[in-house]
Amino acid sequence: MDPQTTHVLLIEDNPGDADLVRLRLIEGKSPVKVNCVNRLSDGLASLSRETPSLVLLDLNLPDSRGAETFRRVMEHAPDVPIVVLSGQDDEALAIKAVHQGVQDYLIKGDISSKHLERAIRYAVERQALLRTLEITRKQQMEFKNQFLSHVSHELRTPLTCIHQYVTLLLDGLAGPMLPDQSDHLKTVLKSVNQLHAMIRDLLEATRAEGGKMRIDPRCISLQELVQGAVAMLRPTADEKKIGLEMGVDQRLPLVHADPGRVLEVLINLLDNAIKFTPPEGSVMVQASMVDADPGYVYISVTDTGRGISPEGKALVFERLYQDPDAIDNSRAGLGLGLFICREIVRLHEGRIWVLSEPGQGSTFTFTLPIYSLARLLAPVIVHQERLRPAFVLVRVDLAPLFSPPRGNWKETWQQCLEVLRRCVYLDKDLVLPPMGTSGAIETFFVVASTDLQSSGTMTTRIREQLERVADLKVKSTLTITTLPVEPPSGNPDATLEQQVQAVAERVTQMIKESVESKLLCAGKGTPGHKKSAKKT
Amino acid sequence: MPRPKILLVDDDPDLLRALRLRLRANNYDVLTASDGYAAIAAAQKERPSLIILDLGLPVGDGFVVLDRLQNSDSLAGIPVIVLSARDPQSNEERALKAGASAFFQKPADNEELLNVIRVSLGPGTAPMAAWPS
Repeated sequence: MDPQTTHVLLIEDNPGDADLVRLRLIEGKSPVKVNCVNRLSDGLASLSRETPSLVLLDLNLPDSRGAETFRRVMEHAPDVPIVVLSGQDDEALAIKAVHQGVQDYLIKGDISSKHLERAIRYAVERQALLRTLEITRKQQMEFKNQFLSHVSHELRTPLTCIHQYVTLLLDGLAGPMLPDQSDHLKTVLKSVNQLHAMIRDLLEATRAEGGKMRIDPRCISLQELVQGAVAMLRPTADEKKIGLEMGVDQRLPLVHADPGRVLEVLINLLDNAIKFTPPEGSVMVQASMVDADPGYVYISVTDTGRGISPEGKALVFERLYQDPDAIDNSRAGLGLGLFICREIVRLHEGRIWVLSEPGQGSTFTFTLPIYSLARLLAPVIVHQERLRPAFVLVRVDLAPLFSPPRGNWKETWQQCLEVLRRCVYLDKDLVLPPMGTSGAIETFFVVASTDLQSSGTMTTRIREQLERVADLKVKSTLTITTLPVEPPSGNPDATLEQQVQAVAERVTQMIKESVESKLLCAGKGTPGHKKSAKKT
Repeated sequence: MPRPKILLVDDDPDLLRALRLRLRANNYDVLTASDGYAAIAAAQKERPSLIILDLGLPVGDGFVVLDRLQNSDSLAGIPVIVLSARDPQSNEERALKAGASAFFQKPADNEELLNVIRVSLGPGTAPMAAWPS
């Protein structure tokens, strides 16, 4: 295309109007080439073939009317300037069009050649300017994110040095310390840790903003996770004489979430709650189901602090928001915590919100999706449009010999997971996503399409293969348990989907009982439920 | 029983000094290198029992060092612990795949690091068998 010539795509169904506009365009001083079509679909097709300098658009066409017309052109060619040509002087529609990105709105009756030429020239210029601005904005955003990521990395180097020398002194490796000196150094270490947390948040927030935050969802029980978070914050709460309670519904289903990330959210919410609650107050964390929203678990943290103003509520999850009335502003932090929480919850496809009245405390609630086993199971338990005849649930426990586990425990059990996946038949057995436990014992479950008698071959194979993993033998003990999965009740009318759902529910229930009986054993030393388990 | 020998690689001399003190206090012999080239040379000459490796290094970064170690029959068996300020999200997996046995982001917890060193050196922290020359 000749760069000097303005290429106009005229989308106009009235032949008389089209001729008139064409005439006005050609009368002007600057070279213009006009391509005229009379339907929106033809206009969109033309836009797919070549990019004009500008679209002159009638809104009422045989195949589209009103605001819908410019919306579709914009969707199709977001960078091409649009000038609406309308038969009616509708100011409200004109404003709406301009708000949505149309460059101008002209009335067919009042256009002179000079006027039209100028409108077109300015529309093209404005659009080009907007595009440049948008590109610059994106570049700046990218630059800012890179800069922050670079800075948080560079800050770690001197911080590491400070941390090393402070701990050297505190551990007495450079000679004995006087009690006062040791106290002072502990204060330094506390500040170093705060700085470390801020650097971490800075990087996390940058990552979230750039869409680079990742989660690793697993099948997790919230009970343990909440207990873990409460245990971690108990000392802080005790120091302020704040009661810290938890209420987790025992019948809560497992959720599909990243345990480390959920713990991060819980710690953040609890930490805030404790920070903003006066001494002698209380903080409560709860997890429950809500009838109206059966796909999600609701987790909330309620405090008896001074609450949040209505303006604050609207901003509290935004980056860099800080409570303007905070009593102790000296250590307010970066104001990134709740922003990071919101992004983590959003990545889990959950929601987070706050209910609060000034003086009445606050309740922060977030939701996490429950774990749907049926979706994962369907491909392996269904064969030729029918449910396979028998299933077993195999449970593999890896208990580290040392506490805390030695070496790279995560790497060890991930290796085991891979071995496990090689030990099963991919078309009829399924290694379930790992159970997220906050404790060190790692538990894997396998659903196998076989009966209890024949499952021995498989468990023997699993045991043999796992025992070959070099690190495993020296680091942990291995227990394998097999339980038959009772077939769903023989309702002849049940659809295949309902049958799969029934098996999934049965397996879920078994896993839950199995995990909880382990918890009881580990926690209170009471024996687990009686079960017809076959240990190999 | 001779003390296990650890090769400490980092381009920050201050950090090297502090870590050397801490490792010595935990009964390890320590030698240091501050660039990738020196690290490989020291590994070849001294046959350490374990290497603690930074990633951002002059004259051959940590990944180059990992690659050289893996491709050397006599050095491939030495456990390498990466200790770097870099983002684990983009570096941990890469380092483990390149042969590192663990990844720590700076600043690392001293006890955790010492724990992993102990485990990587094997039960009883016996020194490695003499290397064939």
